[in-house]
Amino acid sequence: MRCEQVKEFLNAYIEGSVSEALRERIQAHLNACAECRREYRFLQSIWQGLSLMPEVVPPANLHERIMTHVRANVRAREAQQRVAFWRWAGAAAVAAGLFLMGFFVANSDGVQAAFGFGGAKKPVVESPQPVQAGVFIEYRETKDGSRLPVLEARMNREATAELHYVAGAEPSAKPTLIWQGTLLPGKTLEIPLQTLLQSANERVLTLWWSVEGRKRVLFVPVGYPPARIASVRLQAKLSDALRQLASVYQTPIEWVPNGEEPLVVLDAQEASLEEALRQLLVGSEYKLTRQGAAWRVSGH
Amino acid sequence: MHTYDYISDEVLIERFKEGDEHAFDLLVRRYEQKVYQLAYRLTNNPDDAADVAAETFLRMYNSLKRFRGDAQLSTWLYRVVSNVFFDFRKRESRHQHIPLEIQTEDSEEPMELPVEDESVDIMGHALQQEQRRVLMEVIQQLPEYQRVMVVLFHIEERSYEEIAQILGLPLGTIKSRLNRARTALRQLLEPYRELFGVETSPTVGKPQEASDAL
Ligand SMILES: [Zn+2]
Repeated sequence: MRCEQVKEFLNAYIEGSVSEALRERIQAHLNACAECRREYRFLQSIWQGLSLMPEVVPPANLHERIMTHVRANVRAREAQQRVAFWRWAGAAAVAAGLFLMGFFVANSDGVQAAFGFGGAKKPVVESPQPVQAGVFIEYRETKDGSRLPVLEARMNREATAELHYVAGAEPSAKPTLIWQGTLLPGKTLEIPLQTLLQSANERVLTLWWSVEGRKRVLFVPVGYPPARIASVRLQAKLSDALRQLASVYQTPIEWVPNGEEPLVVLDAQEASLEEALRQLLVGSEYKLTRQGAAWRVSGH
Repeated sequence: MHTYDYISDEVLIERFKEGDEHAFDLLVRRYEQKVYQLAYRLTNNPDDAADVAAETFLRMYNSLKRFRGDAQLSTWLYRVVSNVFFDFRKRESRHQHIPLEIQTEDSEEPMELPVEDESVDIMGHALQQEQRRVLMEVIQQLPEYQRVMVVLFHIEERSYEEIAQILGLPLGTIKSRLNRARTALRQLLEPYRELFGVETSPTVGKPQEASDAL
Protein backbone atom coordinates (compact mmCIF):
# COMPACT_ATOMS: atom_id res chain seq x y z
CA MET A 1 0.00 0.00 0.00
CA ARG A 2 1.17 3.50 -0.69
CA CYS A 3 1.37 6.12 2.05
CA GLU A 4 -1.40 8.25 0.52
CA GLN A 5 -3.79 5.31 0.51
CA VAL A 6 -2.89 4.41 4.07
CA LYS A 7 -3.41 7.97 5.27
CA GLU A 8 -6.78 8.04 3.62
CA PHE A 9 -7.90 5.10 5.73
CA LEU A 10 -6.20 6.03 8.99
CA ASN A 11 -9.29 7.53 10.62
CA ALA A 12 -11.42 4.56 9.67
CA TYR A 13 -8.62 2.33 10.95
CA ILE A 14 -8.57 4.15 14.29
CA GLU A 15 -12.35 3.90 14.49
CA GLY A 16 -12.16 0.19 13.72
CA SER A 17 -14.48 0.45 10.76
CA VAL A 18 -12.23 -1.10 8.09
CA SER A 19 -12.44 -4.65 6.86
CA GLU A 20 -10.20 -7.26 8.43
CA ALA A 21 -8.08 -7.60 5.29
CA LEU A 22 -7.55 -3.86 4.99
CA ARG A 23 -6.79 -3.60 8.69
CA GLU A 24 -3.98 -6.11 8.33
CA ARG A 25 -2.48 -4.36 5.33
CA ILE A 26 -2.56 -1.00 7.11
CA GLN A 27 -1.00 -2.53 10.20
CA ALA A 28 1.79 -4.02 8.16
CA HIS A 29 2.43 -0.69 6.50
CA LEU A 30 2.48 1.09 9.85
CA ASN A 31 5.03 -1.40 11.17
CA ALA A 32 7.27 -0.56 8.28
CA CYS A 33 6.69 3.15 7.70
CA ALA A 34 7.68 5.65 10.38
CA GLU A 35 6.10 8.56 8.54
CA CYS A 36 2.65 6.95 8.53
CA ARG A 37 3.18 5.77 12.07
CA ARG A 38 3.70 9.36 13.16
CA GLU A 39 0.56 10.42 11.35
CA TYR A 40 -1.33 7.57 12.97
CA ARG A 41 -0.13 8.58 16.44
CA PHE A 42 -0.94 12.21 15.76
CA LEU A 43 -4.50 11.49 14.67
CA GLN A 44 -5.08 9.04 17.47
CA SER A 45 -3.87 11.56 19.99
CA ILE A 46 -6.18 14.27 18.57
CA TRP A 47 -9.31 12.11 18.61
CA GLN A 48 -8.49 10.75 22.00
CA GLY A 49 -7.95 14.25 23.33
CA LEU A 50 -11.39 15.22 22.04
CA SER A 51 -13.16 12.20 23.45
CA LEU A 52 -11.62 12.80 26.88
CA MET A 53 -12.87 16.36 27.16
CA PRO A 54 -14.26 16.80 30.67
CA GLU A 55 -17.91 17.54 31.28
CA VAL A 56 -18.80 21.21 31.23
CA VAL A 57 -20.31 22.55 34.43
CA PRO A 58 -22.91 25.19 33.64
CA PRO A 59 -23.04 28.50 35.53
CA ALA A 60 -25.11 28.42 38.71
CA ASN A 61 -27.75 30.77 37.33
CA LEU A 62 -28.30 28.84 34.09
CA HIS A 63 -31.74 27.53 34.98
CA GLU A 64 -32.91 30.96 36.07
CA ARG A 65 -31.52 32.51 32.91
CA ILE A 66 -33.28 30.00 30.69
CA MET A 67 -36.61 30.33 32.47
CA THR A 68 -36.44 34.13 32.45
CA HIS A 69 -35.80 34.12 28.72
CA VAL A 70 -38.65 31.69 28.06
CA ARG A 71 -41.14 33.49 30.30
CA ALA A 72 -40.24 36.90 28.89
CA ASN A 73 -40.78 35.75 25.33
CA VAL A 74 -43.90 33.77 26.01
CA ARG A 75 -45.45 36.93 27.41
CA ALA A 76 -44.19 39.00 24.51
CA ARG A 77 -47.34 38.56 22.50
CA GLU A 78 -49.45 39.79 25.36
CA ALA A 79 -47.11 42.75 25.80
CA GLN A 80 -47.20 43.59 22.14
CA GLN A 81 -50.97 43.65 22.28
CA ARG A 82 -50.71 46.10 25.15
CA VAL A 83 -48.29 48.29 23.24
CA ALA A 84 -50.64 48.26 20.30
CA PHE A 85 -53.40 49.35 22.65
CA TRP A 86 -51.46 52.28 24.10
CA ARG A 87 -50.47 53.34 20.67
CA TRP A 88 -54.08 53.31 19.63
CA ALA A 89 -55.16 55.02 22.87
CA GLY A 90 -52.48 57.69 22.47
CA ALA A 91 -53.48 58.41 18.90
CA ALA A 92 -57.17 58.38 19.76
CA ALA A 93 -56.65 60.74 22.67
CA VAL A 94 -54.72 63.20 20.55
CA ALA A 95 -57.36 63.01 17.84
CA ALA A 96 -60.09 63.67 20.36
CA GLY A 97 -58.13 66.41 22.10
CA LEU A 98 -58.13 64.44 25.29
CA PHE A 99 -55.31 63.89 27.68
CA LEU A 100 -54.32 60.49 28.83
CA MET A 101 -53.13 61.93 32.09
CA GLY A 102 -55.97 60.49 34.09
CA PHE A 103 -54.67 57.04 33.34
CA PHE A 104 -51.39 57.54 35.03
CA VAL A 105 -51.09 60.68 36.99
CA ALA A 106 -50.64 60.40 40.68
CA ASN A 107 -51.16 63.54 42.66
CA SER A 108 -47.81 64.67 43.92
CA ASP A 109 -47.88 68.15 45.31
CA GLY A 110 -44.58 69.66 46.29
CA VAL A 111 -42.74 67.64 43.69
CA GLN A 112 -41.27 70.78 42.14
CA ALA A 113 -39.58 71.86 45.30
CA ALA A 114 -38.34 68.39 46.00
CA PHE A 115 -36.75 68.04 42.61
CA GLY A 116 -35.60 71.60 42.21
CA PHE A 117 -37.52 72.63 39.18
CA GLY A 118 -36.43 76.25 39.30
CA GLY A 119 -38.83 77.17 42.06
CA ALA A 120 -41.71 77.89 39.70
CA LYS A 121 -44.71 78.04 42.04
CA LYS A 122 -47.16 78.28 39.18
CA PRO A 123 -46.86 77.32 35.57
CA VAL A 124 -46.21 80.38 33.48
CA VAL A 125 -48.32 79.85 30.44
CA GLU A 126 -47.90 83.19 28.66
CA SER A 127 -44.13 83.28 28.34
CA PRO A 128 -42.90 79.71 28.35
CA GLN A 129 -39.75 79.16 30.32
CA PRO A 130 -37.35 76.45 29.21
CA VAL A 131 -38.93 73.14 29.95
CA GLN A 132 -37.17 71.10 32.55
CA ALA A 133 -38.07 67.48 32.62
CA GLY A 134 -37.17 65.05 35.30
CA VAL A 135 -37.29 61.47 34.15
CA PHE A 136 -36.57 58.73 36.59
CA ILE A 137 -36.49 55.01 36.73
CA GLU A 138 -37.64 53.90 40.14
CA TYR A 139 -37.97 50.39 41.40
CA ARG A 140 -40.96 49.43 43.47
CA GLU A 141 -40.77 46.47 45.73
CA THR A 142 -43.73 44.15 45.41
CA LYS A 143 -45.18 41.92 48.10
CA ASP A 144 -43.34 38.90 46.76
CA GLY A 145 -40.04 40.75 46.97
CA SER A 146 -39.41 41.38 43.28
CA ARG A 147 -38.65 44.83 41.92
CA LEU A 148 -40.80 46.46 39.32
CA PRO A 149 -39.30 49.34 37.35
CA VAL A 150 -41.52 52.37 36.92
CA LEU A 151 -40.74 55.29 34.71
CA GLU A 152 -41.65 58.58 36.31
CA ALA A 153 -41.67 61.93 34.60
CA ARG A 154 -42.25 65.37 36.01
CA MET A 155 -42.17 68.79 34.36
CA ASN A 156 -41.76 72.33 35.58
CA ARG A 157 -44.47 73.52 33.19
CA GLU A 158 -47.02 72.17 30.79
CA ALA A 159 -45.25 70.39 27.95
CA THR A 160 -45.91 67.78 25.34
CA ALA A 161 -43.99 64.57 25.52
CA GLU A 162 -43.66 61.23 23.83
CA LEU A 163 -42.31 57.92 24.94
CA HIS A 164 -41.05 55.34 22.48
CA TYR A 165 -39.38 52.05 22.91
CA VAL A 166 -36.90 50.46 20.60
CA ALA A 167 -36.88 46.70 20.33
CA GLY A 168 -33.43 45.33 19.75
CA ALA A 169 -30.07 47.02 19.61
CA GLU A 170 -29.89 47.54 15.88
CA PRO A 171 -29.66 51.19 14.87
CA SER A 172 -32.21 50.52 12.14
CA ALA A 173 -34.80 49.27 14.64
CA LYS A 174 -37.92 51.42 14.47
CA PRO A 175 -39.12 53.02 17.67
CA THR A 176 -42.65 52.21 18.75
CA LEU A 177 -44.77 54.97 20.26
CA ILE A 178 -46.13 53.88 23.61
CA TRP A 179 -47.25 57.14 25.13
CA GLN A 180 -47.95 60.60 23.86
CA GLY A 181 -49.59 63.51 25.61
CA THR A 182 -49.24 66.65 27.65
CA LEU A 183 -47.69 66.78 31.07
CA LEU A 184 -48.82 69.20 33.73
CA PRO A 185 -46.58 70.74 36.35
CA GLY A 186 -46.80 69.27 39.80
CA LYS A 187 -48.06 66.01 38.43
CA THR A 188 -46.15 62.83 37.96
CA LEU A 189 -46.57 60.57 35.00
CA GLU A 190 -45.93 57.00 35.92
CA ILE A 191 -45.52 54.22 33.43
CA PRO A 192 -44.84 50.72 34.73
CA LEU A 193 -42.26 49.07 32.50
CA GLN A 194 -42.73 45.51 33.59
CA THR A 195 -44.70 44.36 30.56
CA LEU A 196 -42.27 45.98 28.17
CA LEU A 197 -39.30 44.45 29.93
CA GLN A 198 -40.83 41.03 29.65
CA SER A 199 -41.15 41.47 25.93
CA ALA A 200 -37.55 42.62 25.48
CA ASN A 201 -35.32 40.33 23.50
CA GLU A 202 -32.18 42.05 24.64
CA ARG A 203 -30.77 42.37 28.11
CA VAL A 204 -31.56 46.06 27.93
CA LEU A 205 -34.68 47.94 26.95
CA THR A 206 -34.08 51.16 25.02
CA LEU A 207 -36.61 53.92 25.65
CA TRP A 208 -36.75 57.30 23.94
CA TRP A 209 -38.26 60.03 25.94
CA SER A 210 -38.81 63.26 24.11
CA VAL A 211 -40.11 66.50 25.56
CA GLU A 212 -41.03 69.20 23.07
CA GLY A 213 -38.83 67.46 20.59
CA ARG A 214 -35.82 67.24 22.91
CA LYS A 215 -34.69 63.66 23.02
CA ARG A 216 -33.23 61.64 25.81
CA VAL A 217 -32.56 57.95 25.91
CA LEU A 218 -33.03 55.52 28.75
CA PHE A 219 -31.33 52.16 28.85
CA VAL A 220 -33.25 50.01 31.29
CA PRO A 221 -31.84 46.59 32.16
CA VAL A 222 -34.14 43.62 31.95
CA GLY A 223 -32.48 41.58 34.67
CA TYR A 224 -31.68 41.87 38.31
CA PRO A 225 -29.69 42.19 40.51
CA PRO A 226 -27.15 44.81 39.46
CA ALA A 227 -23.50 43.83 39.25
CA ARG A 228 -21.22 45.91 41.47
CA ILE A 229 -17.98 45.17 39.71
CA ALA A 230 -17.23 44.08 36.18
CA SER A 231 -14.46 44.06 33.63
CA VAL A 232 -15.41 45.62 30.34
CA ARG A 233 -13.40 46.40 27.26
CA LEU A 234 -15.08 48.10 24.39
CA GLN A 235 -14.74 50.54 21.58
CA ALA A 236 -18.05 51.87 20.39
CA LYS A 237 -20.27 54.83 19.79
CA LEU A 238 -21.31 56.42 23.07
CA SER A 239 -24.89 55.16 22.87
CA ASP A 240 -23.77 51.60 22.19
CA ALA A 241 -21.29 51.79 25.02
CA LEU A 242 -23.94 53.03 27.44
CA ARG A 243 -26.34 50.31 26.41
CA GLN A 244 -23.63 47.73 26.95
CA LEU A 245 -22.80 49.10 30.39
CA ALA A 246 -26.47 49.12 31.40
CA SER A 247 -26.55 45.49 30.30
CA VAL A 248 -23.36 44.42 32.05
CA TYR A 249 -24.11 46.20 35.32
CA GLN A 250 -27.87 45.67 35.09
CA THR A 251 -28.32 49.29 36.13
CA PRO A 252 -30.39 51.88 34.25
CA ILE A 253 -28.52 54.63 32.44
CA GLU A 254 -30.06 57.77 31.06
CA TRP A 255 -28.43 59.55 28.17
CA VAL A 256 -29.20 63.14 27.24
CA PRO A 257 -27.51 63.63 23.87
CA ASN A 258 -26.14 67.01 22.87
CA GLY A 259 -26.00 66.36 19.17
CA GLU A 260 -22.59 64.81 18.97
CA GLU A 261 -21.90 61.23 19.73
CA PRO A 262 -18.24 60.51 20.32
CA LEU A 263 -16.53 57.20 19.75
CA VAL A 264 -15.43 55.97 23.14
CA VAL A 265 -12.90 53.46 24.31
CA LEU A 266 -13.06 51.66 27.61
CA ASP A 267 -10.75 49.24 29.32
CA ALA A 268 -12.09 48.83 32.82
CA GLN A 269 -10.82 46.00 34.97
CA GLU A 270 -12.97 45.12 37.95
CA ALA A 271 -14.45 48.55 37.98
CA SER A 272 -17.69 49.88 39.40
CA LEU A 273 -20.21 51.35 37.00
CA GLU A 274 -19.31 54.85 38.17
CA GLU A 275 -15.62 54.25 37.49
CA ALA A 276 -16.40 52.78 34.08
CA LEU A 277 -18.63 55.73 33.16
CA ARG A 278 -16.07 58.27 34.34
CA GLN A 279 -13.38 56.62 32.27
CA LEU A 280 -15.75 56.53 29.32
CA LEU A 281 -16.49 60.24 29.48
CA VAL A 282 -12.95 61.55 29.94
CA GLY A 283 -12.37 64.35 27.47
CA SER A 284 -15.98 64.51 26.31
CA GLU A 285 -18.54 67.23 26.92
CA TYR A 286 -20.75 64.87 28.85
CA LYS A 287 -21.39 65.09 32.57
CA LEU A 288 -22.22 62.29 34.94
CA THR A 289 -24.84 62.53 37.66
CA ARG A 290 -26.90 60.11 39.63
CA GLN A 291 -30.69 60.15 39.18
CA GLY A 292 -32.49 57.86 41.58
CA ALA A 293 -31.70 54.30 40.56
CA ALA A 294 -30.14 55.46 37.29
CA TRP A 295 -26.96 57.16 36.22
CA ARG A 296 -27.38 60.11 33.91
CA VAL A 297 -24.94 61.01 31.16
CA SER A 298 -25.89 64.48 30.07
CA GLY A 299 -24.60 66.68 27.31
CA HIS A 300 -26.30 69.78 28.70
CA MET B 1 -32.27 13.25 43.96
CA HIS B 2 -35.33 14.58 42.21
CA THR B 3 -38.70 13.09 42.91
CA TYR B 4 -39.56 13.37 39.26
CA ASP B 5 -36.56 11.51 37.89
CA TYR B 6 -38.63 8.43 37.17
CA ILE B 7 -41.19 10.27 35.06
CA SER B 8 -40.42 9.71 31.40
CA ASP B 9 -40.00 12.53 28.89
CA GLU B 10 -43.17 11.39 27.14
CA VAL B 11 -45.27 11.75 30.27
CA LEU B 12 -43.80 15.17 31.04
CA ILE B 13 -44.43 16.32 27.48
CA GLU B 14 -48.04 15.10 27.76
CA ARG B 15 -48.48 17.01 31.00
CA PHE B 16 -47.03 20.11 29.45
CA LYS B 17 -49.43 19.80 26.52
CA GLU B 18 -52.23 19.73 29.06
CA GLY B 19 -51.00 23.04 30.47
CA ASP B 20 -48.74 21.91 33.32
CA GLU B 21 -45.92 24.49 33.31
CA HIS B 22 -44.13 22.61 36.04
CA ALA B 23 -43.57 19.75 33.61
CA PHE B 24 -41.72 22.15 31.34
CA ASP B 25 -39.53 23.29 34.21
CA LEU B 26 -38.64 19.68 34.91
CA LEU B 27 -37.77 18.99 31.28
CA VAL B 28 -35.49 22.02 31.28
CA ARG B 29 -33.75 20.79 34.43
CA ARG B 30 -33.33 17.40 32.87
CA TYR B 31 -31.58 18.65 29.74
CA GLU B 32 -30.07 22.04 30.54
CA GLN B 33 -26.62 20.68 31.35
CA LYS B 34 -26.41 18.70 28.10
CA VAL B 35 -27.74 21.59 26.05
CA TYR B 36 -25.39 24.06 27.70
CA GLN B 37 -22.46 21.72 27.24
CA LEU B 38 -23.02 21.36 23.51
CA ALA B 39 -23.56 25.11 23.19
CA TYR B 40 -20.39 25.80 25.15
CA ARG B 41 -18.34 23.48 22.97
CA LEU B 42 -19.64 25.17 19.85
CA THR B 43 -19.13 28.73 21.09
CA ASN B 44 -16.27 28.30 23.59
CA ASN B 45 -17.79 31.18 25.54
CA PRO B 46 -19.93 30.85 28.68
CA ASP B 47 -22.14 33.83 27.93
CA ASP B 48 -22.89 32.84 24.35
CA ALA B 49 -23.48 29.27 25.48
CA ALA B 50 -26.07 30.42 28.02
CA ASP B 51 -27.78 32.52 25.35
CA VAL B 52 -27.89 29.58 22.96
CA ALA B 53 -29.26 27.34 25.73
CA ALA B 54 -31.96 29.84 26.67
CA GLU B 55 -33.06 30.27 23.07
CA THR B 56 -33.06 26.50 22.56
CA PHE B 57 -35.50 25.99 25.42
CA LEU B 58 -37.67 28.85 24.21
CA ARG B 59 -37.96 27.04 20.87
CA MET B 60 -38.72 23.87 22.75
CA TYR B 61 -41.48 25.65 24.64
CA ASN B 62 -42.96 26.96 21.43
CA SER B 63 -42.91 23.67 19.57
CA LEU B 64 -43.31 21.05 22.27
CA LYS B 65 -47.05 21.05 21.66
CA ARG B 66 -46.32 19.83 18.17
CA PHE B 67 -43.57 17.43 19.21
CA ARG B 68 -44.57 14.04 17.82
CA GLY B 69 -42.03 11.95 19.59
CA ASP B 70 -40.60 10.32 16.46
CA ALA B 71 -37.14 11.24 17.71
CA GLN B 72 -35.65 11.22 21.17
CA LEU B 73 -36.12 14.57 22.89
CA SER B 74 -32.35 14.75 23.40
CA THR B 75 -31.70 14.25 19.68
CA TRP B 76 -34.27 16.87 18.87
CA LEU B 77 -32.72 19.31 21.37
CA TYR B 78 -29.27 18.80 19.85
CA ARG B 79 -30.79 19.70 16.54
CA VAL B 80 -32.27 22.89 17.95
CA VAL B 81 -28.96 23.83 19.61
CA SER B 82 -27.21 23.47 16.23
CA ASN B 83 -29.85 25.58 14.51
CA VAL B 84 -29.75 28.30 17.15
CA PHE B 85 -25.97 28.30 16.93
CA PHE B 86 -26.10 28.71 13.14
CA ASP B 87 -28.66 31.51 13.49
CA PHE B 88 -26.64 33.37 16.11
CA ARG B 89 -23.50 33.13 14.00
CA LYS B 90 -25.32 34.50 10.99
CA ARG B 91 -26.64 37.38 13.05
CA GLU B 92 -23.19 38.01 14.54
CA SER B 93 -21.47 38.15 11.18
CA ARG B 94 -23.77 41.02 10.26
CA HIS B 95 -22.77 43.05 13.34
CA GLN B 96 -19.08 42.80 13.61
CA HIS B 97 -18.43 46.47 14.10
CA ILE B 98 -18.06 46.53 17.87
CA PRO B 99 -15.16 44.55 19.22
CA LEU B 100 -16.26 43.76 22.70
CA GLU B 101 -15.12 41.78 25.64
CA ILE B 102 -17.25 41.60 28.68
CA GLN B 103 -16.84 39.69 31.85
CA THR B 104 -18.95 40.34 34.89
CA GLU B 105 -18.21 38.93 38.27
CA ASP B 106 -21.37 36.84 38.13
CA SER B 107 -20.68 35.06 34.89
CA GLU B 108 -18.49 32.31 36.09
CA GLU B 109 -16.28 30.50 33.67
CA PRO B 110 -17.51 26.95 33.47
CA MET B 111 -15.29 24.86 35.61
CA GLU B 112 -13.96 21.60 34.42
CA LEU B 113 -14.71 18.56 36.48
CA PRO B 114 -11.67 16.92 37.96
CA VAL B 115 -10.56 14.18 35.64
CA GLU B 116 -10.58 10.74 37.12
CA ASP B 117 -7.05 10.01 36.20
CA GLU B 118 -5.14 7.17 37.78
CA SER B 119 -1.75 8.64 36.95
CA VAL B 120 -1.98 12.16 38.25
CA ASP B 121 1.41 13.57 37.48
CA ILE B 122 1.61 17.33 37.32
CA MET B 123 3.42 17.49 34.00
CA GLY B 124 0.97 15.16 32.31
CA HIS B 125 -1.94 17.10 33.71
CA ALA B 126 -0.58 20.43 32.51
CA LEU B 127 0.07 18.93 29.10
CA GLN B 128 -3.46 17.59 28.92
CA GLN B 129 -4.87 20.96 29.93
CA GLU B 130 -2.85 22.63 27.22
CA GLN B 131 -3.98 20.05 24.65
CA ARG B 132 -7.59 20.74 25.57
CA ARG B 133 -7.16 24.46 25.37
CA VAL B 134 -5.56 24.18 21.93
CA LEU B 135 -8.24 21.77 20.72
CA MET B 136 -11.10 24.04 21.81
CA GLU B 137 -9.39 27.03 20.29
CA VAL B 138 -8.68 25.33 16.99
CA ILE B 139 -12.22 23.97 16.76
CA GLN B 140 -13.42 27.57 16.88
CA GLN B 141 -11.52 28.23 13.68
CA LEU B 142 -13.45 25.61 11.74
CA PRO B 143 -16.42 26.75 9.66
CA GLU B 144 -19.67 26.30 11.63
CA TYR B 145 -20.78 23.14 9.90
CA GLN B 146 -17.47 21.39 10.36
CA ARG B 147 -17.37 22.52 13.96
CA VAL B 148 -20.74 20.93 14.66
CA MET B 149 -19.57 17.70 13.03
CA VAL B 150 -16.39 17.45 15.06
CA VAL B 151 -18.09 18.37 18.33
CA LEU B 152 -20.98 15.95 17.87
CA PHE B 153 -18.88 13.04 16.67
CA HIS B 154 -15.66 13.33 18.58
CA ILE B 155 -16.57 15.12 21.80
CA GLU B 156 -20.21 14.25 22.34
CA GLU B 157 -19.57 10.87 20.73
CA ARG B 158 -22.82 10.63 18.82
CA SER B 159 -23.15 7.96 16.15
CA TYR B 160 -23.27 8.75 12.42
CA GLU B 161 -26.95 7.80 12.46
CA GLU B 162 -27.79 10.12 15.30
CA ILE B 163 -25.86 13.00 13.75
CA ALA B 164 -27.75 12.41 10.51
CA GLN B 165 -30.96 12.71 12.50
CA ILE B 166 -29.77 15.78 14.40
CA LEU B 167 -28.74 17.66 11.30
CA GLY B 168 -31.44 16.24 9.05
CA LEU B 169 -28.93 15.08 6.44
CA PRO B 170 -28.34 11.74 4.72
CA LEU B 171 -25.78 9.40 6.23
CA GLY B 172 -23.45 9.70 3.22
CA THR B 173 -23.35 13.47 3.53
CA ILE B 174 -22.56 13.20 7.22
CA LYS B 175 -19.65 10.87 6.54
CA SER B 176 -18.12 13.00 3.82
CA ARG B 177 -18.59 16.19 5.83
CA LEU B 178 -17.06 14.65 8.89
CA ASN B 179 -14.07 13.61 6.81
CA ARG B 180 -13.59 17.11 5.51
CA ALA B 181 -13.95 18.49 9.02
CA ARG B 182 -11.34 16.08 10.35
CA THR B 183 -8.91 16.90 7.61
CA ALA B 184 -9.36 20.61 8.27
CA LEU B 185 -8.89 20.16 12.00
CA ARG B 186 -5.81 18.03 11.51
CA GLN B 187 -4.28 20.72 9.27
CA LEU B 188 -5.00 23.41 11.86
CA LEU B 189 -3.23 21.31 14.47
CA GLU B 190 -0.08 20.82 12.40
CA PRO B 191 1.85 23.48 14.38
CA TYR B 192 1.02 21.66 17.62
CA ARG B 193 2.41 18.24 16.71
CA GLU B 194 4.70 18.11 19.70
CA LEU B 195 1.88 18.88 22.08
CA PHE B 196 0.22 15.72 20.79
CA GLY B 197 3.28 13.63 21.36
CA VAL B 198 4.50 13.57 17.78
CA GLU B 199 7.96 14.86 17.01
CA THR B 200 8.14 17.54 14.35
CA SER B 201 11.12 16.29 12.38
CA PRO B 202 10.99 12.81 10.86
CA THR B 203 13.34 10.38 12.51
CA VAL B 204 16.05 9.37 10.11
CA GLY B 205 17.90 6.10 9.76
CA LYS B 206 15.01 3.66 10.03
CA PRO B 207 15.82 0.91 7.55
CA GLN B 208 12.31 0.04 6.35
CA GLU B 209 11.20 3.58 5.81
CA ALA B 210 10.03 3.55 2.26
CA SER B 211 7.01 5.22 0.82
CA ASP B 212 5.75 2.06 -0.79
CA ALA B 213 6.68 -0.42 1.89
CA LEU B 214 4.31 -3.36 1.58
ZN1 LIG C 1 3.64 5.31 4.85
